[in-house]
Order: sequence, then C-alpha cells, then structure tokens
Amino acid sequence: MTAMPETTGTIYDIGYRHYDGPRLGRRGAIGAIVGAGLRAVFGFGRSGRSKIIPWGAVILAALPAVVAVAVRVLAGDILDLYDYDGYVWNIGALLPIFIAAQAPELVVNDIRHRVLPLYFSRPIRRIDYVAAKIAALAIGLLAITLAPVLLLFIGRVLSTDDLVAAVGEEIGAMPEIIGNGVIHAVVLSSIGLAICSLAGRRAYAAGAVLAVFLIGGVISDSFSENGQDVAAFVSPLAVLDGTRQWLFGGAVDGAPAATSELPLALYGLAALILVLVSWAVLAVRYRRLTA
Amino acid sequence: MALIRTRALTKRYPGGVTALDGLTVDIGEGVIGLVGANGAGKSTLIKILLGLLPSTDGQATVLDFDPATQGERIRELVGYMPEHDCLPPDISATEFVAHMARVSGLPAGAARERTADVLRHVGLYEERYRQIGGYSTGMKQRVKLAQALVHDPRVLFLDEPTNGLDPAGRDDMLGLIERIGRDFGITVVVASHLLGEIERIAGWLVAIDNGRLLRTAPLASFTERTGQLLVETEEEAGPLAERLTGRGIDAIADGRTVVVDIASAGDGEYAVYDAVRDEAVALRLAVIRMEHRRHQLEDLFRDEVVAPGATT
Repeated sequence: MTAMPETTGTIYDIGYRHYDGPRLGRRGAIGAIVGAGLRAVFGFGRSGRSKIIPWGAVILAALPAVVAVAVRVLAGDILDLYDYDGYVWNIGALLPIFIAAQAPELVVNDIRHRVLPLYFSRPIRRIDYVAAKIAALAIGLLAITLAPVLLLFIGRVLSTDDLVAAVGEEIGAMPEIIGNGVIHAVVLSSIGLAICSLAGRRAYAAGAVLAVFLIGGVISDSFSENGQDVAAFVSPLAVLDGTRQWLFGGAVDGAPAATSELPLALYGLAALILVLVSWAVLAVRYRRLTA
Repeated sequence: MALIRTRALTKRYPGGVTALDGLTVDIGEGVIGLVGANGAGKSTLIKILLGLLPSTDGQATVLDFDPATQGERIRELVGYMPEHDCLPPDISATEFVAHMARVSGLPAGAARERTADVLRHVGLYEERYRQIGGYSTGMKQRVKLAQALVHDPRVLFLDEPTNGLDPAGRDDMLGLIERIGRDFGITVVVASHLLGEIERIAGWLVAIDNGRLLRTAPLASFTERTGQLLVETEEEAGPLAERLTGRGIDAIADGRTVVVDIASAGDGEYAVYDAVRDEAVALRLAVIRMEHRRHQLEDLFRDEVVAPGATT
C-alpha cells in the first residue's frame, strides 16, 4: 500500500537556550577585534574590488625580492639588485597607498555609525579597542614591510651552494630585517589610524592619509636635496629610514638621512614622538567619543 | 535577590548639570520599567551601571560587581541596547551579531550558533544575510536587540527600545521584551518615557525624576483603585454634583465629569450607583460612562511626592 508520508522540513521551536560554555572575556574580545580587523585589512569576506589595493600592494612589494633572487640565480653574485638596508625605503610609495585604502576601513565606520557604544558595553576597555585596531593594521603592514625582505633573505640563502655558509653570512641582517619591519608597521599604523579617527568619512580619511604622506614626502625630498636636512622630519618615511640607519647602519641612496649632517639619533627621537603623538590623539579622540 | 543596587548614586557633569542626585534603589528580577521624562537620568544610570561613565558620588553594584572597578566582569554578563542608531550599514546582520558575540567573549563556534538562534528569536530570517543598510527601522531595532542578547546575558538594559517604530512595530518589540523576561528568564531593565508601553510589559517600576527616585514598587500598586467613581455626562455636570452633595455624597464636578467619593455615601458602592442614576434621571442628563478611577502612572510625575517606603 502507500508508504507513510515522509515528514520533511518540520521546524521545531526548541525555545530559548541558555549558554553555559566558556566566556573568553577581555582577551577573547581583543582577539576577535584583531581578527576582524585583519580580515578588513586584506579585504576578506568583502567584494573582489576591496582586495585589489591590499593584495596589489603586497604583490608589488614582493616583486623586487623575486626579481633580485631570480637575477642572482641566473647571473650569480655579480649583480645585487636590492639589499636589506634599502628595501623598505625603495618600496615606500606602496605604504601610504595601502594605509590610505585600508586604515579607514578599520575605524571610520565604527565612529560614523556610532557602533562604539556596542563595543564599549562589552568586556573591553576603550584602550583595548584602539590597541586591537593598531595591532590589526600593523600586522597587515608587515606583509609589506617585513614579508618581502624575509623573502629576499630566504631567496639569497637558497640560491647558494653552501646553505650553512650562506645562513652564516646573511643572518647578521636578521635584526635589521625584523626590527625595521616592525618599527615601520607600528609607527605607520599608529599615524594612519590617528588621522583616520579624526575623519568623518572613509574617503576623507583616505585623502588625509595620502596628503600627510605625500606632502611630507615632497617637502622632505625637495628641501633635503638643497641641504636643508631638517625638512626630512615632516616625512614619516624619511624619519623611519633615518631611524633604521641609526639603529642598524647602512645608508640608502636617495634617502635624506644618508646625506644628512644631523645626528641620526634625532630620527629615532622623531619616530618616537610620532608614535606618542598618534597614541595621544587616539586616546583623547576615543575618550571624547561615546558614553 | 537584588541584581542591581545603588546607594546615594550621584552624577554631576562638568557643565554643572546634575543627572543623578543621590539615587538609592534595589532592582530585582523580571521586567523592570525605568521610567522618567527625557533627561530624568535614565540613560546616565544605565551607563554608570555598565561602567562606561564614572559616578561622582555614591555606590552601585550589578550582579555583585562594582561598575567602577569591575566593569569588564559586568559587561561580560549584561547586554545593552542603546537608544540611538548604532549599526554599520555595509555588513549583514549575521556577520555583525556574530562579531559582537565574539567581542562579548564567546568562542567562534558558539558565536555562530547563538547568532542563528537569537536572530530567529527576534524574528529575522532570510533577510539576515542582507546588508543592514537596507533594513527597515523595525528590522534594525531587532538587530540591536539581537546583539544585546547574543551572549546570553543575565541582565539586559534596553534604552527606549521602541524609538522610531510604527504601532505594529511597537507591539512586536514589546511582545519580544515580555518574552525575554518571562520565557528566557533574563532580567530586562527597560528605560522609557512612554508610560503606556511600560505599563504593558513591566512587573516592577522604578520611577525617577530629575535624577531622584520618585517611587519604586510593583506595577499594580501604581495603578490600584482610588476609591473614587468617575461619572462622565453628556452636558455640564455641575447640577448633578450639587444634587449628589445634597444627598450627603462628596462629589466634585469638573466640566462634564463628576468625581464621586464612594466611601462618603456610607451605605456601599451600589447606593452610590443608584444615587447617580436617580439624580441623572431627575435632571434628564445622559450619563456616558461610569468607572472606578485608578491611579495612573502619569500621576506620579504630576505631584512629585516620594511615597513613604519608596526605597523598598
């Protein structure tokens, strides 16, 4: 006879269920904000268009390393296209573009659409929110300020016959590679987010970031060529290269610090001031907002 | 058990505005109406209890934690729905609520599961995958409620939850709040200046005015009978009041209504009804309605007298 009608698609209202699983508190909350921030920085979970700039920048930043290693493999030691000292300075133009495109994504909408009270009514402090956003952008920036230089390092080591000897030869550059990459990432993400936190819309924020870096760069370049070394201090990238030279040595062709008469420690001091001012701006801005 | 206690809680803003003025109140379980006019100090109280705003003076505890020093512990266990718009437009409700669950401290898997559950409970279905920017006000209010509920809080603070909703949306939201309090077993503190709404859902009322406690009591005691009979007539009610007074019944006319003191008749409420009927007939005056007058919530704010035993 006929089979029993199959029960399909029945919806049972099981009512409200309480949650008694783990609560990760402040640490979990900060981790969640950093994670979501990283997704935003690289355009994950967003349209293909929002991946173009971050991933384009990451690829362009790695290109010199790839070329240098390829040349080395083919031509041997006769030609060193890129060295560790100048790598970040030479791809420096990518940094303002990356920051201008991705930093506004992290902070502007939360302010503009008043989402912050929802964050601050959760188990974090205001400073945790700001620190998590800086961390997200800084980790993202490492893809440009650290990853390509590491790639160059690995390529140089692997393209030799004697691996052990090559590692011994190159490992001395490791502190500079990591130190310079991290300093760039932390300082630039702090500056970028401080600027963005003051802008009302993402487009304004992006414009402001570009303006600060480009105008600073132009002033620094043109005046430094005329021997006015002080001008370098309006350009964050020039300041950071000076800081690198102060900490790790190695002048870079075309960078203001290379030809400057000023003590290199001043660049380090300037970098420190840039970070502290950025953090102060963020602290004041986020104390004023909400509540 | 009191989930929330305040003792002489005071908040003065730098400009000299006093938002809370020595507020002392205990709040227990259930749906609690926090009522007062705009600017009475409702939002300030909620923000202090969440640890978002420091108080100027006095103490408070929420779930036995001190907001001033243990705000994070409190915020892990309470939910907050602000009065204003607070949703990013370019993200789906699912993504947003799941993210907020994680910021509340839930692990990723639990955050996803509870997001699906809670969005269903607040009545968002297929549209939860669309961007919030395209939502109606009613749907946005549901998302705001969902983000406050997603981490299964012990206490929920809702600040003017029916703001901007049409009548049907209001009914839905009030129904939801009632269900959260009754079926979900979550204590809900609803701040509102709309007494009519609070009357429908709250079991207990905390009335504040100018940062001071006006009264706190079960809702029923706010609206109990007054022992007065209200008689509405078709024409001027003065003559009726005079004739009733002539019979020894206290009656005061006000336009086309008469307020009759039932106890003053001496021989029971039915005698009063009869007297009103007889005198109305004699005057050939049409009576439109007769009813027992009840205290109204609005009375609270008309005569600002703190009732005895106000801090119970």
